[in-house]
Amino acid sequence: MTDTARAIAEGLRRGDRASIARCISIAEDEPELFSRIIKGLYRPGSMPRVIGLTGPPGCGKSTLISLIVPKLVEQGHKVGVVAVDASSPFSGGSFLGNRIRMEEALSSKHVFMRSIATRGAKGGLSVSIINAIITLASAGFDMIVVESVGSGQADTDIANISSTVLLVLSPGLGDEVQAMKAGIMEIADIFVINKAELEGSDRAAGAVRSYLSTISGGQNKDIALTSCTSRRGIDELVRLIGDHESKVNAKEFAERAFRSEVSRIAKELSSRRVDALIDGHAAAIGQMAESMDPYAAAARLLQGDIEGGRSRRPKR
Amino acid sequence: MFMASGKSRGSSERPIRVLLAKPAIDGHDRGVYVLARAFRDAGMEVIYPGLLPTPEQIVDIAIDEDVDVIAISLLNGSHMTIFKKVMELLRARHAGDVAVIGGGIIPPRDRPRLERMGVTGNYGPGTPLETIITHVRERAAEVRRRRRVA
Repeated sequence: MTDTARAIAEGLRRGDRASIARCISIAEDEPELFSRIIKGLYRPGSMPRVIGLTGPPGCGKSTLISLIVPKLVEQGHKVGVVAVDASSPFSGGSFLGNRIRMEEALSSKHVFMRSIATRGAKGGLSVSIINAIITLASAGFDMIVVESVGSGQADTDIANISSTVLLVLSPGLGDEVQAMKAGIMEIADIFVINKAELEGSDRAAGAVRSYLSTISGGQNKDIALTSCTSRRGIDELVRLIGDHESKVNAKEFAERAFRSEVSRIAKELSSRRVDALIDGHAAAIGQMAESMDPYAAAARLLQGDIEGGRSRRPKR
Repeated sequence: MFMASGKSRGSSERPIRVLLAKPAIDGHDRGVYVLARAFRDAGMEVIYPGLLPTPEQIVDIAIDEDVDVIAISLLNGSHMTIFKKVMELLRARHAGDVAVIGGGIIPPRDRPRLERMGVTGNYGPGTPLETIITHVRERAAEVRRRRRVA
């Protein structure tokens, strides 16, 4: 293990914040170094509980988190918050503003919050999000709150890594339920109608309830009405989260999250392997243009049935 | 490069992370939003914690978010005390490797003193955004070189 890896692993064990922070950066940027750091720290089967929040932009996810987190801390949890925001597909840059509404909740020693940009990831979650969760878990955080990009689209990713999924909606989104992309309603465990102080919140709750009556298992799902301005319904929501967590099959959840991560890593490694193959056979692949279609060429590349180039062995 | 999304980017080109802060009793946030947008459009990840963070909060956030650069804007004359406090706290928390850049209403006579503290840039109104962005990039590159050897 390199000195950097050793120092950071040591820091994580102590719960040192700078080490946690640096490790999450490494998870984003240097997967190989990250894999060395966690090798000695990862405790199989010890996935922390993950509360995932998703929902359209502006429905109050960040504010809600700022009210829920202190209550989870009161219950004795060490809480990690991972907030994901979109990277611009044009510049690659992003504006990570989730902290604006959270600062007060974050001042506790028992809370660690990190903003992560999607950096081109599809599906609402950054590729490195599980790595951030693993890092926080290694540093002793037992409950992680994940706020996903409020796109509403393909946010089903969040279901794979969360033990409880909250879908946050607010009144005045029009045909709230209709507007939600298929898939989102099915993955949520708890439906939150936030901004309940606004007119139309009961109607929104009613629409969710009637939608739920049409899907299997929908009747068992909870609906919470919350208002962050008056703090109404927050305690009830925290109770519903606790209830759902107590019903989660820990083994099943750990397996599901693990599968999702193995799949992501395997895809990343195979994509690197393909890049290396293409680099190593660039000339030969070019020559195939004369004799076959691109599907046939890709198949031959993957079978290793290709001539005229040195096959560069991928590292892993 | 078109659609320079993070996925195709090598690790050496990973986005610069900047904490943009507007501390002390100073609610003039128009300028800070202009900067946030300019930094984002220059491909940086901008962490904006809202108005009026304390120096302690600034340093906490800089550490937790593992930023390369802290950019602080001050228009109310408290730059000498606030910057000094931030620099002291960074050192005390062993985070002295983060670059600190200043801007706002800063009288010329204060600039050398800020520079000596390690606060660079110290741009006033009317500075072209390109100048500021270039400076942020230079300081971030320095920070990353230092961290790599550390």
